[in-house]
Amino acid sequence: MSKYPRLASLKAISQVMTRYYAQRSVMARFRPVAYVTSGAPVEIMEAMGILTLYPENYGALCGAQRAAVALCEIAESTGYPADLCSYARSHLGAVLQPKRAPLRGLPRPDLLVCCTNICGTVLKWYEALADFYGVPLFVLDVPFQRATPPEPHIVAYVADQLRELTAWLQAHTGRRLKPERLQKTLQYAREAVSLWQEILAFGQHRPSPINAPDLFVAMAPVVTLRGTRRAVECYRRLKAELEARVAQGIGAVPGERYRLLWDNIAIWYRLYRFFRPFMDAGACFVADTYTNAWTVALDVDEPFTGMALAYTGVFINLDLATRLRIIADLARRFQVDGVVMHANRSCKPFSITQYEIRDALREELGLPVLIIEADMTDARLYNEGAVQERVAAFLESLG
Amino acid sequence: MGHQRALIGFLTACVPEELLHAAGFDPVFIFPRPDECGRGRVHLPGFVCWIVTSALDQALGGELDQLAGLVLAKTCDATQGLADLWRRNVPHIPLFHFGMPSRLDGPAVKSYLAAELRDLRKRIQAHTGHPITDDELRESISWCNRQRALVREAYTHIATCSPPDFYATLRTMFKSRRLILPQPSPLPDAPRLILVGSALGDVVLFEILEQVGARVVGDLFDLGERYFEADAAEDGDPLEAIAQRLCTLLPTPTKYHSTKSRVQRLLELVRTRQAAGVIFARQKFCEPHGFDYVRLARALSQVGVPHLLLELEQTSQAGQLRTRVEAFMEVIGRV
Repeated sequence: MSKYPRLASLKAISQVMTRYYAQRSVMARFRPVAYVTSGAPVEIMEAMGILTLYPENYGALCGAQRAAVALCEIAESTGYPADLCSYARSHLGAVLQPKRAPLRGLPRPDLLVCCTNICGTVLKWYEALADFYGVPLFVLDVPFQRATPPEPHIVAYVADQLRELTAWLQAHTGRRLKPERLQKTLQYAREAVSLWQEILAFGQHRPSPINAPDLFVAMAPVVTLRGTRRAVECYRRLKAELEARVAQGIGAVPGERYRLLWDNIAIWYRLYRFFRPFMDAGACFVADTYTNAWTVALDVDEPFTGMALAYTGVFINLDLATRLRIIADLARRFQVDGVVMHANRSCKPFSITQYEIRDALREELGLPVLIIEADMTDARLYNEGAVQERVAAFLESLG
Repeated sequence: MGHQRALIGFLTACVPEELLHAAGFDPVFIFPRPDECGRGRVHLPGFVCWIVTSALDQALGGELDQLAGLVLAKTCDATQGLADLWRRNVPHIPLFHFGMPSRLDGPAVKSYLAAELRDLRKRIQAHTGHPITDDELRESISWCNRQRALVREAYTHIATCSPPDFYATLRTMFKSRRLILPQPSPLPDAPRLILVGSALGDVVLFEILEQVGARVVGDLFDLGERYFEADAAEDGDPLEAIAQRLCTLLPTPTKYHSTKSRVQRLLELVRTRQAAGVIFARQKFCEPHGFDYVRLARALSQVGVPHLLLELEQTSQAGQLRTRVEAFMEVIGRV
């Protein structure tokens, strides 16, 4: 392992996340808990002092701890078809049998807030949770952004629902949203997002001080602690460490030879192991589409319209032409030599257009592209032998 | 009217047919074809359902070239992905995206949906070069309402029709906008079933049900009974009337409504139609119906109604399906 020195701030982030889960389970006894989707406007809840928990993040945690398959099987035994999203199956398995789940499951929710900007799956997942727990569900419906910028009636629709959500949260928790508190939270969120953008930009250095699997670990706070001081602190520290690496010319992959771009959600149960052969061949993943999803800046002056724009414009909710522009732009700015795409059985919005993206990157930028068929948490869909063979052939083709 | 009208395709159960008709088109549904969909597969990962894959496949094979356009409403993730793929790969058939909300209640939805309908109207007008007047919209609403009334009338005879005949009637209606009622062929002691699934299920399944001597007495298909249950108002603002109808229908599994419950509807159907069992005809890889199955099946089990889950694919194995349906009929016979 000493061959690839780990970033000390990643360990700190992992500790923050461990503390986050531990504290949430204690605080859940005296503060309302809302389960939220990864693209939900958490700033409103954070500002109201409502505790938020992310079943998707928990799904990733189950994947990383290799607990997901057993949990998926529990969900499947109660009727959930095995071809449904594995985050949902893992989490529902944990809901059904918390004793067999990491952290003994998540604390019970008092409220559910489901935002449809990332997929349609979450709507069904949260309906299942509402059935199981018998708690109120708010569906924040975000239309697909088929044009950029989005049409005014779409922004107005989302902003109206954000106001409705605020009133709904107040009615169910008795907590009020104070404008100055929302401002503060939005500022923290803005700062965390802006630090996160800077961190991602470090991949442009040669050698890059950070590799995609590092970012997959580092992203947790920008998802789950957005709007808090802790997220800002985590990223200040990481940024400083990356600056030091750049100053000393230290790369995440010593002797960096190839610079690659990753597409789609991580393969959580093979987080570092999947990337090891790439690292051994001197290939560093300097950019990715996944962690880029949390880089949309928030407007602090017009909070509701600002949040409506930000949460409608998340990467996965954009039309293909716009996403292609973003990916091609990443490839150019980060000077990548090739692209690896994870055809993720669990995530249709991310995966369904990958062949088109592959063809466009090959044709327009002349980049070699490898598509790996797997799943973000269901390890049963990972064919070790086939993946190794294809990765080896791809690395060889890079010359 | 009716002979020279151009056809416009649609693929989901929440497209404003009235608006398309008022623009001078006959809206026709693109049903999947039972083949390997090889041309579509080249562009799609293997975990996308047959309905979406087949639509793309037919388009790439030139089989949809008679269409003046395709209208896709936001429903599931696979359909949304198809909108992206369509624009790049089928540029000669214009795509009209309709941002149908995922949530059908709440104070914000009405004005959004009306605005989205106005937007679609503008985009279609810009494409055809002809304005769509409010009077034309009202006439088309009335045309759609008349068809819906005929289909509702047809549904009152469903239990006395053979399943393949009955659903062939609906498919023909969606393909040619003509309704030819099937001849009744009553089977007094036949097991009475309710079917649940996306679009209109699968012809192979209907044939198997006919072979085992079962009758369908109701359905929860996205394009089935629920699709015809409400009319749009023929007076007042026509776009608002269309919006109102779309929000009134029992939601499909891709849509959320805080009080309109699919569980309640299914239980009510079973009770009022005196059904002996329910068959879920789910397209493999369909997430909305996959999750929905669990809630519906649980509710059925709680009241002791037998149910069976079948997974449909482009090359559904008729033999296997038949064995499972036969086994299910034995279960029903014992209850």
